[in-house]
Amino acid sequence: MYYINACSSISHQSSFRNKLWMNELQPLSGLSTLISPDYKEFVDAASLRRMSTILRMGLACAKDCVQQAGIENPDAIIVGTGLGCLTDTEKFLKNTIIISGLIPPTSFIQSTHNTIAGQISLSLKNHYYNMTHTQNSLSFEHALMDAMLCLNEEKSSVLVGAADENICFMEELAKEFNFSEIENKLTSGASFFMLSNTKNNTTKAELIDSCAIGLNALTNEEVVADFLKNNHLLLSDIDLVLFSTYGTQKLEEVNKLVHPIPVLSIEKYSGYHFTTAAFGMHLATEILNQKENLFVQNKAPIQRILVYNNLGNKNIGLTLLQAIET
Amino acid sequence: MKVTITGIGIISAIGLNVHENFQSLKSKTSGIKENTNFIEKGKLLLGQVQQTNDELEQQLGVNKPISRTSLLGLVAAKEAWAENKPNNLIRTGIISSTSVGGMDKSEHYYSNKLKGKQADISLIVTHDNGNTTEKIASAIGISGYVNTLSTACSSAANAIMLGARLIQQNKLDRVLVGGTDSLTSFTIEGFKSLMIYDEDWVKPFDQNRKGLNLGEGAGFLVLENKKSIQLTKNKALAELVGWSNAADAYHQTASSPDGKGATLAIQQALDQAKLKPAAISYINAHGTGTPNNDLSESVALKNIFKDKIPPFSSTKAYTGHTLAASGAIEAVFSVLALQHNVIFPNLNYVTPIEETQLEPETEFTNKQVDVVLSNSFGFGGNNSTLIFKKV
Repeated sequence: MYYINACSSISHQSSFRNKLWMNELQPLSGLSTLISPDYKEFVDAASLRRMSTILRMGLACAKDCVQQAGIENPDAIIVGTGLGCLTDTEKFLKNTIIISGLIPPTSFIQSTHNTIAGQISLSLKNHYYNMTHTQNSLSFEHALMDAMLCLNEEKSSVLVGAADENICFMEELAKEFNFSEIENKLTSGASFFMLSNTKNNTTKAELIDSCAIGLNALTNEEVVADFLKNNHLLLSDIDLVLFSTYGTQKLEEVNKLVHPIPVLSIEKYSGYHFTTAAFGMHLATEILNQKENLFVQNKAPIQRILVYNNLGNKNIGLTLLQAIET
Repeated sequence: MKVTITGIGIISAIGLNVHENFQSLKSKTSGIKENTNFIEKGKLLLGQVQQTNDELEQQLGVNKPISRTSLLGLVAAKEAWAENKPNNLIRTGIISSTSVGGMDKSEHYYSNKLKGKQADISLIVTHDNGNTTEKIASAIGISGYVNTLSTACSSAANAIMLGARLIQQNKLDRVLVGGTDSLTSFTIEGFKSLMIYDEDWVKPFDQNRKGLNLGEGAGFLVLENKKSIQLTKNKALAELVGWSNAADAYHQTASSPDGKGATLAIQQALDQAKLKPAAISYINAHGTGTPNNDLSESVALKNIFKDKIPPFSSTKAYTGHTLAASGAIEAVFSVLALQHNVIFPNLNYVTPIEETQLEPETEFTNKQVDVVLSNSFGFGGNNSTLIFKKV
C-alpha cells in the first residue's frame, strides 16, 4: 500500500500552503501568472539569488512536504522533470556562444537535470537514494513508479515530485512550430508528495498504482483496460478522470475513451508543461478530500480518480488514486 | 531474483565495438587525442569517437534529425541487443541515461539563431533526454517501459541499477540498460569554466592531476531474469549482484573530503551483494582525474577496504570522461575483466596522491577476477556503486 501523506504545489493556482485553494481554483487565462511564495523562508538569500524558478519551486515544495508530513529525512528523494533546468541551460549555452574568455560556472553547475534533487538532498542533509527521471511527458510517472519500488524495498517514506520551468525561448518555439493551442499557456510548475507505506493522521489519499507506457504499440483503450485489470478494477469503479492532453480536439477522444465517466482537464488549471500529471495528482488528492462534490454533479462522494496523461502522443501515463477509508 | 547480464555493447574513443575496446585496453592505447573538431575552442584533448554523424547515420539507416547522443547510443544498444527479439511472453523495457541529450543539435540551432543565420528548427525536437532514448527504443523495437535517467556522471550506473531493481521486483523480465553522451561545446566549456579541464593528458589518481579530459560514447547491457533466459536462450556473461545509490549532500559539484557519499554507496552495494570487502578482485574506479574526485574516492576506498585495497584503476585515461555514459562503458569493462580474468591499467599515473598514497594498477595484468566493483559519482553528490560477479 502506498499512502500520500503530504502534497505541495507551486502553480498558477493559489495552491501553495493554502488549505482553501480548491475553492479559489480558476481556469487559466492569458493573464494568470505563477503564484510564488516568499522563497526566503526556504532558501538562504545568497543561494536564492543564483537560483532559477525550477530550483526555487522544487526546494520550496520539497521542504513544505517534509514539514507537512513531519518527516525530516525521507528514505529517498526522487524527481521527474521533462526539460530540466532550462533557465540555466539557456544562460550557459548563450554564454558559450557570446563570451570568448572564461565563462562563470554557476549556470553550468545548475544546468544539470539532477540539480533539483541534488539541492534538495543538500538542504535536507539527506544521504539516501537520490534520483532524477527525464522521460519528457512521462517523467513524473517514472519518478512515481521508482518511489513505489522504493516503498516495496521497505523504505518507509519517499519524497517524490516533479518540476518544469517555462522560458521565453519556449514561447518562441511554440510560435515557430505553430502550436497555437498552447500559446500563452506555457507555464512553470512543481508538485511534490510525501509517500509512505503506512497510513497516519496526515494521510490524504491512497496511491493504488501508476504506470508509464512509452511509444505505445497498443490502442489507448487497451492500455487503460490493462491497467485497470491489473488493479482488479473496472472502468465503472472510477468516479472521475483527470486528463492531460495537448489540444482541445482531444477532449472528445478522452470522453469517448472513458465514457460515461466524467472528465476534467488538468491543463485548464495548470497550463502546459511536461509534468502537469504531478499537478493532476495533487488536484485528485484534494478532490478525494472534498466534502462537497464541486466537479461532478449528482454524484456521491468521489472514491477513485484516474489521472490519464496523454500529453505526449505516443506516451500514456496512468495514475490511480483512492480516498482513504475513514 | 537473480539479475544476469547477457549482452554488452560499447562505442568509445578506443573502439566502435566490444572487441575493438578490449584490444585497445590490452595494448594500452588511449583514444584521447588533440582535437580539431572544436578548434575554435583552442587546443583540446578529447576522447572522440572516430566516426562522423554522416557515417553513423548511414551505417544505422536512421532518419534525421537525430542527435549524436542517440546515434552513439544506438550503436552500443544494437551490439548489446544482438539477436534478441520482441517476445510477448517477455516483459521488456529500456532505461537509457544522458546528461546532454540532443544538446549537440540544440547548440547548433541556438548559435545560428543568435547570430541571425538561418536555423533549422527541426533540430530542437531532439533536445530532450527522453527523445534520445525514444529514438534508440524505436530503432531496436522496444515499447512500454521506456525511461531515461539523468544524474550527471552517475547516470548510466543508475540506469543499470534501476533495471536490476525492476527485475528483482518482478516488474520486467528483460531490460536494455545503459547510457550515452556526445561531446558538445556546452560540456567542454562547462568543465573549463569550473577550471577542472586538464589541458594536458588526464592523470587519474596521480598527485599532479589537474582535471579531466572529456570523451564521448555509449555503453549498453542486457539484463535478464531466469524466465527470460529460458526463452531467449541467451548465454550468461556475468551477474549483477550489488547496487546502491547514496547522496553525498556536501556541495552541488564538489565531493566531500571524508568521501561520505562514496563510502555509503560502496558499503551499501557490498551489503546488498552480501559480500565482504575482501571478496572484491578489482575496482574500476570513477577516477576522473580532478583533484577533488580522486582524493575523495581514495578516502572512501580507504574507509571501506582499510589497508587491504584491491587492485584498482580508472579507465578514463583511455576513453576520456564520457559523463552519463561512463557508468555503462565501465560496466562493460567490468564484465570484460570477469570474462577474460584481466585488470586494466590506469594510464598516465606516476606519483601517488600525497594524502592517501594509493597506487593504482599500471599494467594490463592477467589475474583471477571473480568480483568487480565499479564506482560512478556525479554532480549533485550523486554516488553509485555496482558489483558484478562471474557466472
